[in-house]
Amino acid sequence: MLRRRPEPGPDSFSDEVLRHLDALYGTAVRLTRNRADAEDLVQDTVVKALRFESRFERGTNLKAWLFTILHNTWRNRIRDSARQTVDVDSTRIDELAAQQGGPIELETPERVLLRESLGQEVQAALDALPDAFRQAVWLRDVEEFSYAEIARMLNVPIGTVMSRISRGRRMLFDALQKQDKNSPVGATK
Amino acid sequence: MSECRRTIDRLPSYVDGLLPADEHADVDHHLNACPPCRHLAALEQGGHAVLRQQSAQLRSESLPPGLRSRCEALAREHAAAKSPRVGALLTNWRSMVPTFLGAIFLVFFASALLSIATRRSDAVLAAQLTADHSKCFLMSAASSPADARDVERMLVQRFGWSIHVPPSSPADGVELIGARRCLYADGLIPHVMYRVNGQDLSLYVLNGVTRKATDLVTLGHRSQIWTRNAKTYVLVSSSMVEGLPDATRYMMNEAQ
Repeated sequence: MLRRRPEPGPDSFSDEVLRHLDALYGTAVRLTRNRADAEDLVQDTVVKALRFESRFERGTNLKAWLFTILHNTWRNRIRDSARQTVDVDSTRIDELAAQQGGPIELETPERVLLRESLGQEVQAALDALPDAFRQAVWLRDVEEFSYAEIARMLNVPIGTVMSRISRGRRMLFDALQKQDKNSPVGATK
Repeated sequence: MSECRRTIDRLPSYVDGLLPADEHADVDHHLNACPPCRHLAALEQGGHAVLRQQSAQLRSESLPPGLRSRCEALAREHAAAKSPRVGALLTNWRSMVPTFLGAIFLVFFASALLSIATRRSDAVLAAQLTADHSKCFLMSAASSPADARDVERMLVQRFGWSIHVPPSSPADGVELIGARRCLYADGLIPHVMYRVNGQDLSLYVLNGVTRKATDLVTLGHRSQIWTRNAKTYVLVSSSMVEGLPDATRYMMNEAQ
């Protein structure tokens, strides 16, 4: 059952890791909101993935494993550089959520989805979300990881992941609707 | 109220279509009867739909130039370091020069604009200097002992670098064999080459840079990083070097 390692040269594990570079970088940009930090983070992630190859369980999701390394590395780096993560102020978020329950006019998702400049608006709205929510909605709705995979990446319980996804989605859409209302063509009810 | 709480807790699964049919119907039932929850569900559905619709565009960040080739070089080194007989690492490196050394050399030379002297992480710095360490010893013909004063003079004359080069120290098993310009960080780093009990050891000096002291293993090599008087020193060696602690102590005392 023991598998002999191939001689140096073509290496399937490395190839598999490199296949996920684009996804890692896209996520790193969204995570760090800074291209230089993202580049550094991706390279660091690759170094660690190669070094800890033996800890990867064959047959499991390599992409999820790499994303876990990426997020762990970023968390450590923020801690090391004494930069505080944005604390999720649950009370404030609850207040926001409660306000959203008020009698305001809603744009339908369809209307928002038809906006021409939506791509840029979504990027801006995503970047404006608190870190914890941005990470959760990105990993779920863009990268399509499961709640359990995201929980491992972010090192939080599944319930917390679901709550962050939920609130992140709501805050994002709320921001997009407000933009629509502020825009000259968005005045229809 | 508790029914609202239960509904809100289930909204992500509801929107993701992951609820069993009966629970989905429960949520639908509550949403029909409860405008505030219906509002929250609409927001969540909207956020989800927008992100799904835009996911391809959001994911389409193009890689910065050089990142892929640097990672490929790291992968090649990794493949080489996985060679079965660690003791024969150097031999394997030598035998594989034509196949991957050129690639590593070109890739890292091309990425010399990397400013590792700034805030690159320790692991990345260590990986890059480890690549340089392996490459320089392969390419260098130097193997006879060198005089520290000659080396210091050469570094001043050729590159304008005035640094203290720790001389050979037979008591610590350290033998100075030469110095050259490291190709990283715009070629701004001196690379001083030693042998310790016959094995390769590199000392890099990053002038005007301070970093936290650390000791890490990257790609089968040990990198010890410390800072003195606004200079950061990085000592790179195979982690198997015999007598490394003595040599390290000597270097740390000397390189001040």
